[in-house]
Amino acid sequence: MAARGRCPECGSGSLVEDAHYAQQQLVCAACGCVLSEGLLTTTYTDEEHLREVAYSQSTGQKEQLSRCLQRGIRRVQDLCKVLQLPAVFEDTAVSYFQRALQLPAFHLVSLEKKELLGGCCVFVACRQHRWPLTMGTVCSLLYARQELFASVFLSLQRELGLSVPALSLADLVTTHLNSFRLVQPTASVPAPFLEDKEQLLARTMAIVELASETWLVTGRHPVPVVTAAAFLAWQSLRPGPRLCCPLARFCRLAGVDLPPPAHLRLRELLEILLGMASQLSWLRGFRLDKRTVVKHIGDLLQHRLLLLKRAFSQQDGQGQQDTAPGQGSGSQGSLDKGSGSQGSLDKDSGSQGSLDKESGCPWAGKQQRGGSLRPLLPPCLIHPRKRPRPAAPSAPAVALTGDEPISDSEIEQYLRSPEEIRAFRKAKAWP
Amino acid sequence: MDADSDVALDILITNVVCVFRTRCHLNLRKIALEGANVIYKRDVGKVLMKLRKPRITATIWSSGKVICTGATSEEEAKFGARRLARSLQKLGFQVIFTDFKVVNVLAVCNMPFEIRLPEFTTNNRPHASYEPELHPAVCYRIKSLRATLQIFSTGSITVTGPNVKAVASAVEQIYPFVFESRK
Repeated sequence: MAARGRCPECGSGSLVEDAHYAQQQLVCAACGCVLSEGLLTTTYTDEEHLREVAYSQSTGQKEQLSRCLQRGIRRVQDLCKVLQLPAVFEDTAVSYFQRALQLPAFHLVSLEKKELLGGCCVFVACRQHRWPLTMGTVCSLLYARQELFASVFLSLQRELGLSVPALSLADLVTTHLNSFRLVQPTASVPAPFLEDKEQLLARTMAIVELASETWLVTGRHPVPVVTAAAFLAWQSLRPGPRLCCPLARFCRLAGVDLPPPAHLRLRELLEILLGMASQLSWLRGFRLDKRTVVKHIGDLLQHRLLLLKRAFSQQDGQGQQDTAPGQGSGSQGSLDKGSGSQGSLDKDSGSQGSLDKESGCPWAGKQQRGGSLRPLLPPCLIHPRKRPRPAAPSAPAVALTGDEPISDSEIEQYLRSPEEIRAFRKAKAWP
Repeated sequence: MDADSDVALDILITNVVCVFRTRCHLNLRKIALEGANVIYKRDVGKVLMKLRKPRITATIWSSGKVICTGATSEEEAKFGARRLARSLQKLGFQVIFTDFKVVNVLAVCNMPFEIRLPEFTTNNRPHASYEPELHPAVCYRIKSLRATLQIFSTGSITVTGPNVKAVASAVEQIYPFVFESRK
């Protein structure tokens, strides 16, 4: 826009207002002389009148969030690549992560938790697609503490309202055994210790099913049970050279970690198997112990249902608690049905006679064939830990209302006397 | 045995947590000096005082808020809270016993049968959460009662709720579901 005035250099009247970068200048169009220029910076007073934008409303925060989101998504994708998951899992996990990061519960938390959030999303995606991934695996990949992972997982489930199906034990067995190194010949594994994968898998699956029927799996961590079952299956498939190999060595040869509860699960499984073996007629003559029973695991698994019924009382601790008579007759009925269906099994013709004898008396069956029937209960009920329980409070003689009068003498016991206070002050130099 | 027959279940209340206010500032050092059975946690800024007769532990803050735990019934909680307020009064503070409220009740109940937890979880999907890798029990939340139940495979159930009535209703509500998945 032409401004009024004349250029002092050439006298031309064509003056233009132009901006040299951010600086306004009045310039002569003919000779280019700069007549005047504006201020490059604002003054303090000018800035005071500028409208201030809060950080939360500025784009700065959104940029921060998107940076965090991008980092998190990259992490989720890396985790999926490491675990070799299909693309669908990755997409699901990323979508969960994006949704979760919008919520205030995950938006304003520590970086550690945000990393775990990515791991949780992958874990949830795997569980929803029935991919057997354990928390232990994810925690070890993320170098995370299990308690923190657990809290992030539970809050993710709650905030997003996700339905996470239970871990399938069968799939877990398959995946866990895939990581065993005993199926291929290697330098570290002696020849007698190599095993066919399919046979090992089938037998381990059967032992795990036995464990779940006998209360060894409920409420327990699944991996130690699978490890113990795999060990027993491996030993039983070729007992000769393998009986002398302990569980720790087996895990070392297989190239898997030995979880600490595996020894306990192994002991519990052997107890169950010994109980079942006592009911197998052709084994009754032998004195079986934890080592020798392994040789007969194949037979025990084949007749597992019948042996479980015979070896363990189906009632709650006979002689310890009262059972309703209805229960007793109900289970008798099932036992008779059971024995009828097993009529084709000729192994135990003698036992059928004794079973008929017993059907007259209630299904206590404790004294049959020299073994006492242990009830089929969770192990913590069979071997309760001796805890000093406080005596159950007896009903008070006078029902409390909470508004009883309070006597001074009752309160005096909670206050120190002046002498005590003086002594205390002296001793502690209370300021 | 069916779910409709009357079954008497013993619900044992193990803990009742209550709060009340004294409406006056409390000098914690004075309480620590002149009170017996007192632990002063200077770093956190609270005093723990234990009563013998109703076996109660009280956490006292200088603002005048007091939390009492350890009672085995709501009445006993009020009984203990009033005794505590009286002790503070005797120590010389202008205590007014106000805003008494039972905040949490913890109870234990034993079912006469074992429970198959995976089956129970599948049947009660949105309310029940079972993660054997984290905790051996199923966590069942009843939103309407604001109660949480922890159901173990042995048949033992731990209930927490805002008051004794809610706890009793929670046990009543859970019984048929638990009965369905019994062993």
